Amino acid sequence: MTAIPIVTAVDLRRRFGEGEAAVDALDGVSLELPAGAFTAIMGPSGSGKSTLMHVLAGLDKPTGGTATIDGIDLSTLDDKKLTELRRDKVGFIFQSFNLLPVLTAQENIELPLKIAGRDVDEAWRDQIVQTVHIGDRLTHHPSELSGGQQQRVAVARALISKPAVVFADEPTGNLDSSSSAEVLQLLRQSVDELGQTVVMVTHDANAAATADRIVVLDDGKIVHDGSAGTADEVHDLMRTVG
Amino acid sequence: MLALSLRGIATRKLRTALTVFAVVLGVALVSGTYMLTDTINSSFDEVFQTANQNVDVAITPTRVFGSDTEGNAVTPNPLPASLLERVRRVPGVALAAGSVFEMGQIYDKDDDPLITTGAPMFISDTSPRRFDPFVYVEGHPPVGPREVALDKFSADKAGYEIGDTVRLSGEGPQEAFRLVGIAKFGEADSLGGAAVAIVAPPVAQRLLDLHDEFTTIQVAAEPGTQPTELAAAIRAVVPARVATVRTGEQQAASDSQDIKDNLSFLRTFLFVFAGIALFVGAFLIANTFSITVAQRVREFALLRMIGANRRQVLRAVVGEALLIGLLGAVIGFLAGFVIAPGLKALFKLFGADFPASGIVLLPRTVIVSLLLGTVITLVSALSPALRATRVPPMAALQEAATLPRGRAARWRTPLAAAVAVLGIVILCLGLFGSASGGDAAALVGIGAAVVFIGVGLLASHIVQPLSLAVGKPLEWLRGVSGRLARENASRNPRRTASTSAALMIGVALVAFMTIFAAGLKASIADAVDLGLKGQLLAQTTNFSPTPAAARGVLASVEGVETVSGIRFTKAIVAGEGRPNVTGVDPRTIGDVFNVDWVDGSAATLRALGPGEVLLSKRWSEDHDRGVGDTLRVTTPTNTRLTAKVTGVYDDDANLLGALTFPNAVLATAFNVRGDAFLMAATAPGLDVETVKERADRVVSAAFPSVEVLTKDEFVERQEGQVNQLLALIYVLLALALLIALFGIVNTLFLTIHERTRELGMLRAIGTSRRQVKRMVRYEAVITAMIGAVLGVVLGAIFAVLVTIPLKSEGFKISIPVGQLVLLLVVAAIFGVIAAIWPARRAAKLDVLNALAYE
Repeated sequence: MTAIPIVTAVDLRRRFGEGEAAVDALDGVSLELPAGAFTAIMGPSGSGKSTLMHVLAGLDKPTGGTATIDGIDLSTLDDKKLTELRRDKVGFIFQSFNLLPVLTAQENIELPLKIAGRDVDEAWRDQIVQTVHIGDRLTHHPSELSGGQQQRVAVARALISKPAVVFADEPTGNLDSSSSAEVLQLLRQSVDELGQTVVMVTHDANAAATADRIVVLDDGKIVHDGSAGTADEVHDLMRTVG
Repeated sequence: MLALSLRGIATRKLRTALTVFAVVLGVALVSGTYMLTDTINSSFDEVFQTANQNVDVAITPTRVFGSDTEGNAVTPNPLPASLLERVRRVPGVALAAGSVFEMGQIYDKDDDPLITTGAPMFISDTSPRRFDPFVYVEGHPPVGPREVALDKFSADKAGYEIGDTVRLSGEGPQEAFRLVGIAKFGEADSLGGAAVAIVAPPVAQRLLDLHDEFTTIQVAAEPGTQPTELAAAIRAVVPARVATVRTGEQQAASDSQDIKDNLSFLRTFLFVFAGIALFVGAFLIANTFSITVAQRVREFALLRMIGANRRQVLRAVVGEALLIGLLGAVIGFLAGFVIAPGLKALFKLFGADFPASGIVLLPRTVIVSLLLGTVITLVSALSPALRATRVPPMAALQEAATLPRGRAARWRTPLAAAVAVLGIVILCLGLFGSASGGDAAALVGIGAAVVFIGVGLLASHIVQPLSLAVGKPLEWLRGVSGRLARENASRNPRRTASTSAALMIGVALVAFMTIFAAGLKASIADAVDLGLKGQLLAQTTNFSPTPAAARGVLASVEGVETVSGIRFTKAIVAGEGRPNVTGVDPRTIGDVFNVDWVDGSAATLRALGPGEVLLSKRWSEDHDRGVGDTLRVTTPTNTRLTAKVTGVYDDDANLLGALTFPNAVLATAFNVRGDAFLMAATAPGLDVETVKERADRVVSAAFPSVEVLTKDEFVERQEGQVNQLLALIYVLLALALLIALFGIVNTLFLTIHERTRELGMLRAIGTSRRQVKRMVRYEAVITAMIGAVLGVVLGAIFAVLVTIPLKSEGFKISIPVGQLVLLLVVAAIFGVIAAIWPARRAAKLDVLNALAYE
C-alpha cells in the first residue's frame, strides 16, 4: 500500500453560529488519508463526523485550517472550481441513495460522466456493473429496484468517473443487514481490486469493521485513529472513546 | 381552519403571489373596461345634455335604421325649411330654429385632416343665442361668408389662433376661412373628442350642399307651456314618417343611447379578452392548487390523523382559495384604475380616441369585479380541494405519500374526449346552425372554450411524445441537461399538460387570428385582382365618404379615361330583411369593374335605370327572386320605391351587395350623395404610376382628405387596416399569454421545491450551477413548446372551421407558415423568460441544505 496522501486535513476548524451560541463542529482536525485506503469516520451524533466529510469533500467551507484532495488546496477554489473538483475527483454515496427517478439504472450510473460531458469508458463501466451485480437491472428505473439494488447503483455511479476519493455518508443507514453487507463488500472490493480510496462516515460498528482504519471523532476532535479490527473490537472501541 | 388557510398563504408568499396574479389580470380587464366605457358614456351624456340644455323640443329626421348599419351610409333626408315654417306657427312656440350639423373635413396647417384618430369632424352653423351650446372663450361667432369658429380642443390641437386661415370642405372642394372665434362646448373643450367648425348658416348650407335644409329643428316653448305638451302639439303638424319630435331631455337621452349602442361593441370586444384572461387564469389556479395539494398530502394526512374530518380539510383548502380569490379580485379591481386609462391609450395608439376624462366608478363595477375574481378562483380550486379530502390518515406515516387516485380517474380520458367532442359540436352548431349574429358568436366562443378544456384534459396523453419530439433536439445539442429537462417535463404529464394548456389557449387564439387575418388579406388581394379592371382608386384617408365633387376633378385629370363611383347603403325589402345595397354608375362601372352574370350581361348593367334593380346570386337564391320580379323597397330616408329585377350577378370580388341600384337612385331616394370610393381606368398605353401621381396631386389640392391609389397600394391600405386590428388583438391576447407565462413560472417553482434533494445530489456530484439553470430552462421551453404546438394546431383547426361558412363570400384560407413558426419561436422564448427566475433559485440552492432537506 502506497502512502501518497489523497486527502489531507491540517488543523481543520468549522464553527457554526457566532458569539455565545457558537458551536465548534470541528476543533482542529488533522488527518492524512493515503491512496487506496478505506477509512471509516465514526463518532456519536454531533461529534462532527458529517461536518468533517462535508468539509473534506468540498461541500462545506472550513472556518480555519486547510483541506486538500489530490494535492489541491480546497480553500483556493471558488464555487465553480469546487464543482469541477467534485465532478472530476470525488464520488459520493448517500444514505438515501439519491438516484434520479427519471433515469434508468444505467443512466444514473453514467450521469457524472454525462454532466462532465465525457465519453463513457465502456470497458470500465462494464467492469463496475459486473462488480456491483446489477447487469440485469440496467434498464430499470430506481422505483423498480430494491433499496440494496439502488445503493449498488449509487456505488457504481460513485466509481464510474474513477474519482480520487469516494465519500460515503452512512451508506448502509437505510438498508437491511444483508443489503448492508453487500454494499460494504462492494466498497471493500473497490479498494482491494480497483485501488479506490474510500472515506465512509458511519455509526455502524459492523460497517466500520470493513474499513482499514478507523478515525473516531468526539466534540470536533479526533479521539482515536488506528487500524480497524473486528466488529466486536470496534464496539469496544466506541464504548471506551464514547 | 381559517387560521390554517391564512397561515398557508403567509408561509407560501411567492406561490400565493403568482396564483393571485392569475386572477388579477382578468379581473383588472373587466373592471378597467367597465370604468372606461362608463366614463365614455358619461362624457357623451354630458355632451348631449349640453347640446339640448335650452331646447324644449327637438325635431330630427325620422330614422328607419337603428345602429345596425354595418358601416353603411344610412342618413335620412334633412328637414326642409317648409317644415320649420309649419313648426313656427304652432301655438306655444316662442322660438324655432333650424340648424345644420353634418360630417365635413377640417384641415390642419399642413392640409391634413385635423383629426386622424377616428373621431368625427363636423361642420355646423351658428344657432340663435338661446340654443347655442358654444361658449366663446376667444373672438366671436362667425358672421361673414369667410369666417369660421372652432372648438377649443381642435384649435389647440392644430395650433390655430384667431386670424389664422382654416380650410374646410364639405361636399365640394376645400375653401379657406378666417378663424374669428374659439369656443368651448358648455364646460368642455370638445364634443367628446370630435372637431367642430362653426360657420354662418348660409355658408354651412353651401359647404354641405344643402338647399335650405336642416338636420335639426330646435324649439323653445313660451313661458307656461310644458315641453311635453308642446312636443305633442308639434307632432300633430309634422308627419311622423319624415320627422321625429322629442322634448329636449328625450333628445339628449336618445342621442346618448345611440352612442352607447355603438360603444356596447367596444365593451363586448374587451370583455371577450377579459373572459379569455379569466379562463386562462382558471386553468392556472386549478393547476397550482392541484400541485400544492399533492405536495401537502402528509400535512392533510396529519390533520386527519389528529382528528380533523374531511369537511375540515376541505374547508382549509377552499378557505385558502377564497382568500386568494378575494385578494386577487380586490387587487384586480384596483388595477382597473390603471387598466382603464391604459386601454384608452391603447385604442388611441391604434387610431381610436375616446373622450374620457377622469374615471366613472359605478357600484356595479365593484360588485362584478369582486364576485368574478372570487367565484372563479373558488370554482377552479374545487376539484383539487375535493381530492385533498380523500387523503387517508395513514399517509402521514408513509415516506412518499401520494394522492389516492379518485374513483373518477378511470373515466378521465373518455370524459375528456367527450368534452372535446362536445366543444366541437357546440362550435359547429354556432357556425353552421340556425343561430345568427351574437348568438352564433357566443356558441362559437363557448364551443372553443369547451374544446380547450377537453384538449387541456387530454393533453396529458400527448405530453410524453411531444416532450420527446421537442426535447430530443435539446438532448442532442445539450446532452444531459436536455435529457433531464425532457424527463422532468414528462415526469408528471398531467401537471405539464395543464401548465402548457394555459399557454395553448393564448397561442391557439393568436394562431387563429393570424391565419384568419392572412386569409382575409389574401381574399382582399384576390377580390381586387379579380374585380377591378380600372388601375386606380380614390378614397378618403379617414373613412368618410368621398366628397361628391371629387369624381369630376379626378375625371378631368389628363390620362384618366373613366371614373366610376360606388356607394354602400341598406334597404328594407318587405318581408325579406334588410339587405346591403350598392350604388353604381351604370354607364361607367363596366369599364372599371368585372361582373359575372347568372342572368343578364354587361348590357343589362349599362342599361340599369331608375325603377330597376340587380340582385346578387346569393340573395336571389335565398329569397327566391329573379329577373322580372318586382321588389318593394324602403330606403333609409323612409322613401318607398318599387323596382323591377333586370339581372342577377355573381360577384366573386364580393364588392357588390345584395341589391344594386343606379347611383342616381341612391342620391334621390337613399340620401347617399357621396361615393365610398372611386374607381378609375387610365388611358391605354400610359404609365399608371405617372397618371396616379398626377391625379393624386390634382385631387389632393382640392380635396386634401382624398388620396389616389394604384390597385397595389389600395390592397396595401386594406391590409394595413387588417394588420392594425390584428395588432390590437395581439396586444389584448398578450395578457392571456402573460398569465400563462406566470403559470409556467409558478409550476417551475413548485417542482423545484419538490426536487430539492435531487438538485442537491446533482450539485454534489459535480453539476455546475449553469447546468442546473440550463436544465430548468429547457424544461420550461419544452413545457412552452407543448402548449405552443397544441395551440397552433387548435388555432389552425378553428380557423379552418370558422372560415367554411365564409367560403361562399369569397374567403380564401391561407396558412401563413412563416408566422406560425415565428409563433413557436416566440413561445420557446417565453419558456426561456419564464425559467429565468426559477432557474436562478434552483442554481442557488445550498448543496448541504438541499441534501438534508426532508
